[in-house]
Amino acid sequence: MSMERRDLFKLAGVAAAAAVLPSVAVTTAGAAEMANKASGKTVLVVGGGFGGLTIAKELKKKDKSIDVTVIEKKDIFMACPFSNTYLGGLEGVSLETLTHDFYAPATKHGYNFVQAEVTAIDRKAKTVTTTNGNFTYDILVLSPGIAYDYKGQFPEWSDEKIAHVAHACPAALMPGSEHLALKRQLVDMDDGDVVIVPPAQGKYRCPPAPYERTSMVANYLKEEGIKGKVIVLDTRGGKFSKGAAFQESWKDLYDGIIDYKGFTKVIDVDPAKNEITYLEFTDAASLLEGDPEEATKHTIKYQVCNLIPNNICSPVIKMAGLETNGAGYALMDGYTLRSKTDKDVYVIGDAVSHGIPPSGHTAIWTAKRAAGQIQAQLAGKSFDPKAGLPVPVGNVCYSMVSGNPEEAIMVTHEFVAHENGMLVGNGNVPKPKDGNGKFRSKGTGKATREWFAGVKRELFM
Amino acid sequence: MERRSFLKITGASAAAVVIAPSLITQRLYAEDGLSLYESYEKIHLKDADGNPLKASMLQPEENYIFNFPHVATPCILVDLGRPANTNVKLKADDGTEYLFKGGVGKSGSIVAYSAICPHQLTHPTPDDSFFQYLERKGKTLALPDAKEAGIFVCSSHLSAFDPVNGGKAIAGPATEGLTQIVLEIDENDELWAVGALGPNRFHDYMDAFKPEFKKYYENKRKAKRLVKEEAKVVMLKQFTKEIIQY
Repeated sequence: MSMERRDLFKLAGVAAAAAVLPSVAVTTAGAAEMANKASGKTVLVVGGGFGGLTIAKELKKKDKSIDVTVIEKKDIFMACPFSNTYLGGLEGVSLETLTHDFYAPATKHGYNFVQAEVTAIDRKAKTVTTTNGNFTYDILVLSPGIAYDYKGQFPEWSDEKIAHVAHACPAALMPGSEHLALKRQLVDMDDGDVVIVPPAQGKYRCPPAPYERTSMVANYLKEEGIKGKVIVLDTRGGKFSKGAAFQESWKDLYDGIIDYKGFTKVIDVDPAKNEITYLEFTDAASLLEGDPEEATKHTIKYQVCNLIPNNICSPVIKMAGLETNGAGYALMDGYTLRSKTDKDVYVIGDAVSHGIPPSGHTAIWTAKRAAGQIQAQLAGKSFDPKAGLPVPVGNVCYSMVSGNPEEAIMVTHEFVAHENGMLVGNGNVPKPKDGNGKFRSKGTGKATREWFAGVKRELFM
Repeated sequence: MERRSFLKITGASAAAVVIAPSLITQRLYAEDGLSLYESYEKIHLKDADGNPLKASMLQPEENYIFNFPHVATPCILVDLGRPANTNVKLKADDGTEYLFKGGVGKSGSIVAYSAICPHQLTHPTPDDSFFQYLERKGKTLALPDAKEAGIFVCSSHLSAFDPVNGGKAIAGPATEGLTQIVLEIDENDELWAVGALGPNRFHDYMDAFKPEFKKYYENKRKAKRLVKEEAKVVMLKQFTKEIIQY
């Protein structure tokens, strides 16, 4: 079979060139049945985000003879971390800050990059079907990220309504048009209110993101002299990621601008009328009970609505037929980054069901760890899933809270092999040495920029 | 000693200096059959006034910065105040082994490392520094439970490195150790930088910081030049406007 394939490559000029030249995997319809070769060390990576690009580079760094192909549906890389500073209009932050081409790192490290959408995964045949050819693998790495669960959160909404709301009230957790649309709305706004709705339940990408965004939009209103408020419709009663640190900054910097409502449930959005309707409860217990009789119903007008729906895992995990938890995240093989279902399928980034924060930093961490495990597996060696644990700082994450001067807050997570059988992150929100007793400081503001610049160097150099 | 007489004879022409790396150290490392050693022109470390820097004048646990081997690649020199370990085996990410010989000075407590974090190339600049040695009594988030510090910390992503053991990566996302700067000390207690040992990211660094080089060195070409004859050593706190350490 593999011989046959190689013969086919000899005949098909285009595909053969693609196999030789890294990063230029171009497939022509009908040129070959498989767009890559099965070498015994063929790793296919689905998803070219923080996790996918890191693992491709790491595998090539560890062993040049591993064939690595990254399949990504987007044509341009755009980062979600640090993107709130773009929405907030911080100096020198442009689209170029957040974007990059995929070609440079692929060429430099010698992996293939293919722009395509995955349409089917056959784990038995070890093939992946995409809109740009079929691929074979020895090891499959899934780093597909998240999806939005409008349907679960608003069961009465039609598909048309969901599409309308998604475009009119962009969530901007998956970078691309959503960010551009939200930025356009913010730039275009006259005096008026911005409503931000943090994801309501469960795990979601970048836990501090909605609150950093709240800060950055408030900063924007303040700096631009726009009369308005940032109204946060939350379910968490102030108990969210870096909660005390955010709320301290809001009180100090944005008194009268940020209006945080902690026990709400959004029940409808009317994008034609720019209206959002929600129930406001008195406390966590009544919110949990959810009895509308106990709540006050409000309908308010907004200028900009950043509706961030509940997150679920990308459907790619289910497409692969892997066992998942209720929200679609892949069940894992103990403390490893391998799926519970198939020893040849690894899962990294936001798609894991480990109890570690779904952040860019964590995605890179899981990618590097998985690369080591895959290298061992390909060499027929065993590995210790608990190696190096606990990790004192598996995740470090900064959130910018002010633009002038730039100040940020931070959180670190220790990663441990928890007795529940999973990797778990334990958070710590420190007060920085230069913060004069506050959670925020100018040093952490600078660190936020350096954190992101470093991550870009990691992915693209 | 050898080199100075050599300089006297040749009249210290720049060309002669370029081809005069430290012969003693080079031979030493070559005989070990060790990889990852690169020798450069032997550079005399000078203080801010241009006088030779004496090992005995270093304040214990203070960060001193100089550029080596390139005009734009910063290194940090520290008298750890305790002897560094000797003959510590380290491993690069690609599996190559290399050996940390130890510190110099009376008690072997003086070490120097490239101040470019091997993780994502964070380094001190005249504007700010996230990367430096943290004194033993200091606290760091990189190792929250450690009883004492005495380590290099990069506060951008909280990697930590152990200078007593050749700059080994001990915490955070960095997997490789710091690039060691090989020092020599002469009979007058004066310090020289002669080579770099261990994996280095000088090439990536040159690629990564073009805009920064424009700001500080006019352009990449100038930033990339090798340091010649001497390097000025200043305290990090005088070199940079702000030391940021978490």
